[in-house]
Amino acid sequence: MEEKNSPYNKYAKRHPQIGFTGILYHAARWILGVVFIYASLHKILYPGAFAEAVYLYQILPDWLINLTALVLPWVELFLGIFLVIGLWMPGAVVISNLLFMIFMGALSYNMARGLDISCGCFSTSPTAGTVDIWAVLLDGMFLVVSLYLLLVTFRWVPARGSLLSSLTRRQP
Amino acid sequence: MFTREQSKWRQVLWQIPAIILLAGFVGICVNSLRPDSIPVVGDWSAKTSTAATTGENLAIPLAEAEKLFSAQLAVFIDARDEEDYARGHIRGALSLPWKDVGKRFPEIARDIPADKVIITYCDGEGCHLSHDLAVFLRQQGFENVWELVNGWTVWQDDNLPVEERNAVSP
Repeated sequence: MEEKNSPYNKYAKRHPQIGFTGILYHAARWILGVVFIYASLHKILYPGAFAEAVYLYQILPDWLINLTALVLPWVELFLGIFLVIGLWMPGAVVISNLLFMIFMGALSYNMARGLDISCGCFSTSPTAGTVDIWAVLLDGMFLVVSLYLLLVTFRWVPARGSLLSSLTRRQP
Repeated sequence: MFTREQSKWRQVLWQIPAIILLAGFVGICVNSLRPDSIPVVGDWSAKTSTAATTGENLAIPLAEAEKLFSAQLAVFIDARDEEDYARGHIRGALSLPWKDVGKRFPEIARDIPADKVIITYCDGEGCHLSHDLAVFLRQQGFENVWELVNGWTVWQDDNLPVEERNAVSP
């Protein structure tokens, strides 16, 4: 903050440079944003069917099933919108990571105990996509993207400008 | 003074509850307005779910199943995986894992006596494998097919005869 008016930052403001990592960062949040929005739509349209899918996972207590089916799709929708427009990024990115980890846990757990149930990930139809290794891998892929966003958001890795200019930014 | 990273974690602390509350508020409001709304706290007892999936309740009460077992009038079919079956099953039960039903059905079908009641089971109140298997067997022409909901658990809870891996006499 104290460096806001440093010569370098003044220059950077006039000449915003989007380097490789910058593109990666924006691509990551847009991809995840669209994934979350897409995943939420079917569930918002058919809460009854989604509740059935949640029930079949046999993880949540009965009283939490409908509440989850009503709230989770909207969390996904708002999360998706926030990721796309870049609002409340720290909170959105942490929730995104938590959700993918929870999904990963639920999928692996039910795969391990051999339940033949539908994933309910992108569609609430009982015949669309089962809980299998592909669902876990896809979730894992999104989790990796999400973790990258977390690292960038909390400045553990640089996002804007090229890697080199980010590393040297503080010594104009 | 907080560093930039610390202030971001502070933002996380209010943004997460804010997003969840926003979603909860909108989700519950929208649900209350729509014609096909669902109750916020639903009734998910095993019975309602069994009837809900096909509109047909195939559940057989445990006492009935036990009576048929004692009188040797029933054949039990385990719809779980082979490994689960190997770990333990209702005594005398046949194994027909739902996931291999297409492959295994022809050989199992020969072992099912025509004059007996068929009772399918799996494990867990929400387990649909036994229900799906019961529906499948009915479609294959077996008429007297029923499902023992949460069968493996209720059977053990009642201390009824089982065969387990360490004490199996095949």
